[in-house]
Amino acid sequence: MSTNEQSKISLGSLITPARVLLAEDYPSKKELISALVQAVCRDYKQLDPADVAAQVLKREEGISTTLDTGLSIPHARLEELTDFAAAVAVLRKPLRETSGSELPIRVMFLFLSPAKPAFFQKHLQILSALAEKFKPEFIEELASLSNAEEVALRLAR
Amino acid sequence: MKQPSSSSAGASRVKKVVVLTTAMLTFIPFWKAAAVVLCDFGSSAFYAGGIAMRAFGPAFPWYILAVMLFSGLLLMLELEACSLFVRGGAYKIVREGMGDTAAKLAASALIFDFILTGPISAVTAGHYLCGLFNSFLEWGGAAIELPENVISVLFGLLVTVYFWRQNVKGIEESSSKSAKIIAFSLAVCFLLAIWSFITMALHGAHLPPTQLAFSQEALGWAGGIDWMQTIGLVGMMMAFGHSVLALSGIETLSQVYREIEYPKAQNLKKAAWLIFGFALLFTGGLTFLSAVIIPPELVATKYYDNLLAGLAMSMAGPNILKLLMQAMIVVCGVAMLSGAVNTSLIGSNSLMNRIAEDGILTDWFRKIHRRYGTSYHIIHVIAIVQLAVILVSRGNVYLLGEAYAFGVMWCFVFEVSAIIRLRWKRAAQKRDFMFPLNIKYENYYIPVGLILLCGFLVSVACVNLFTKQVATVAGLGFTAFLFAVFSLSERLNAKRANTMFEEGYRERINAQTVDDLKEAFSELDHPHRILVAVKNPENLYHLEEVLSNANADETDVIVLYCKPVENVLYRQDMRSAAVDEQEVFTAVIFLAEKYGLPVTPVLVHSNDAYYAIAQAAAVADAEEVVMGVSGRHGANPQIERAVMTWGAVKDHELKHPVTLRILWEGREVSYRFTR
Repeated sequence: MSTNEQSKISLGSLITPARVLLAEDYPSKKELISALVQAVCRDYKQLDPADVAAQVLKREEGISTTLDTGLSIPHARLEELTDFAAAVAVLRKPLRETSGSELPIRVMFLFLSPAKPAFFQKHLQILSALAEKFKPEFIEELASLSNAEEVALRLAR
Repeated sequence: MKQPSSSSAGASRVKKVVVLTTAMLTFIPFWKAAAVVLCDFGSSAFYAGGIAMRAFGPAFPWYILAVMLFSGLLLMLELEACSLFVRGGAYKIVREGMGDTAAKLAASALIFDFILTGPISAVTAGHYLCGLFNSFLEWGGAAIELPENVISVLFGLLVTVYFWRQNVKGIEESSSKSAKIIAFSLAVCFLLAIWSFITMALHGAHLPPTQLAFSQEALGWAGGIDWMQTIGLVGMMMAFGHSVLALSGIETLSQVYREIEYPKAQNLKKAAWLIFGFALLFTGGLTFLSAVIIPPELVATKYYDNLLAGLAMSMAGPNILKLLMQAMIVVCGVAMLSGAVNTSLIGSNSLMNRIAEDGILTDWFRKIHRRYGTSYHIIHVIAIVQLAVILVSRGNVYLLGEAYAFGVMWCFVFEVSAIIRLRWKRAAQKRDFMFPLNIKYENYYIPVGLILLCGFLVSVACVNLFTKQVATVAGLGFTAFLFAVFSLSERLNAKRANTMFEEGYRERINAQTVDDLKEAFSELDHPHRILVAVKNPENLYHLEEVLSNANADETDVIVLYCKPVENVLYRQDMRSAAVDEQEVFTAVIFLAEKYGLPVTPVLVHSNDAYYAIAQAAAVADAEEVVMGVSGRHGANPQIERAVMTWGAVKDHELKHPVTLRILWEGREVSYRFTR
């Protein structure tokens, strides 16, 4: 068994204003994931947005990544990456899938990790830390902010 | 770490908490297990010698001693049977090894003996009690003598009715009580032995004769077969056959096996040694001393129904001390013999239940008491038959003793034959114990010792067919009747049996709804806690790993099953758990028993298993959370979801690190929460 040293994750290093999507609402989870993938891939030329979106959506077919706090963390582990990458969407109105089986989403945090096993513990650590940080009160606070810069700044704090 | 507050994310995810309180999930040390067996097996000391004396004369102590030595072989047989871990004792072993018909025959024969064990024990206890009253009356100079047979029948009826009620109510006698009885018996045995040696030193002593003097009754049909009486070995086997009733209760070991704590195999061996040692000293030793000290004419005329009381009254010393000694023997005898009455009811009920689980008995037998949850129809039938036997016996212990031993001998014949066959059928299965004398041939261990034992058992059982007329007629009649009932019932129940076969065996689980998780874990008292989440009864590798490595003295193992549910009613008591969780928890209980480790099984109704697991782990203050791998999703998505949920639920700093592990066939994915 490998162990990890948990430390406070700095979201500032993962999220820049260009990777923040602040919207009133969004038509579907799939489209929102695609938009966030596009935002990340702008900074990572080695990534193919269609391929990344396909991998993230494939993972979404398995165990749900949406928590009942309103946070969704679609994620994938990519061979092309050597470090973690992310983008975030904050919705003022919850995104509800038409099927009704998914929980409503207020914040979607797209999280991409290197596929190498050495990064897996850190990958888990970040997933846990994100879930711990994005509690309903914090999500409300993010939704009340007026622009992407404020969101990025709040996340970096 | 504390339970997440109600405001936290997942607080509403656990809708209902049910603690499964199946009694079998607590385990007992080897000495308590031995005490439970000895309360039945040891009780034959109070009647076996007297009955043997009436059958073949003053040589009886040699044969009782021989039977007690022989019990060592049967205990070894039970060790191998238990090491196969076929649940359900001799019946299931025979079924596994030799098929349904042989199993039904063995069970029918064994139930016959169970039914007799109760009356013989209860009536003997009555004799001892009445003997004591009469001794006091005689000592006090009273001219009256209480009628022993009447008193013993009345006492027998009373004890049987008492345990009938207790069994219907499902009140189990504690193993601690058995241990106290055995400790007291050991003290009495020690005192008797010391006093006997003093008496022998004062009065002189000589060994009992070895010549056999069969009564006409004890020769049975062999009385008319001249050649049988001329072969010395046959005579010895006849005497041995009349003494095997001293083995009464030895089969209880396979019943208590499932309750023995970890490390199960070693503890079972220790229990078997303890049982053997005690039985040899108590039954063998005291019977021998009785034959040495009590004048033979008194054994034959006065003390044949309460031999050990006769031993006390034949010691050298003042009468008042002898009376006190007799009183101690009677207390010890009444306690042990009454325990044997109870064990006979439990044993036959348990055996009938095993048969019912195979779909052989109709639903009428399987009917569960609405209030107590016991199979009361079976208990009623057994108790009524036992009461009838007591009345028919009219207090005659010898008659009961003569009827006894048919079932136990033939059941052992079937059991040893089945174990021999299983050496081939289950050659690859690892056995913690093998009956000695084996020859390794390729992948097989040829069971020379078992074959010899089988030969001996068959010989004695066949000799008994000729000599023990009452046992043969009554035993064959009863076995044939019960076998016919089983066969007919099986035919009538064929459709239901097919359904039961498809469903597999289900443990009857007592379930109790509690207020919240905190209440569910309120009785956990070990410093370390491991929470094991289970879902699929076919996929419990992770639980097995935990049970095989956990230290029962320091660790509480909580087994959590999350039942997915949309809408549930709060605080509604469940009499019995629904089918799917029964299947899961049956498998859990099977593993807990296999490793002898107590588990706390908890069922939660939740619409998200990961939230329920995280919340339960938090409330239980678990240091480890262990899950099995999902065939559909795989370990990595599982652990990702688990850590996300943990983060969402967590609202306090951890008091200690918590390790989340997903285990499957030799592999593991884990994550350690350190803050």
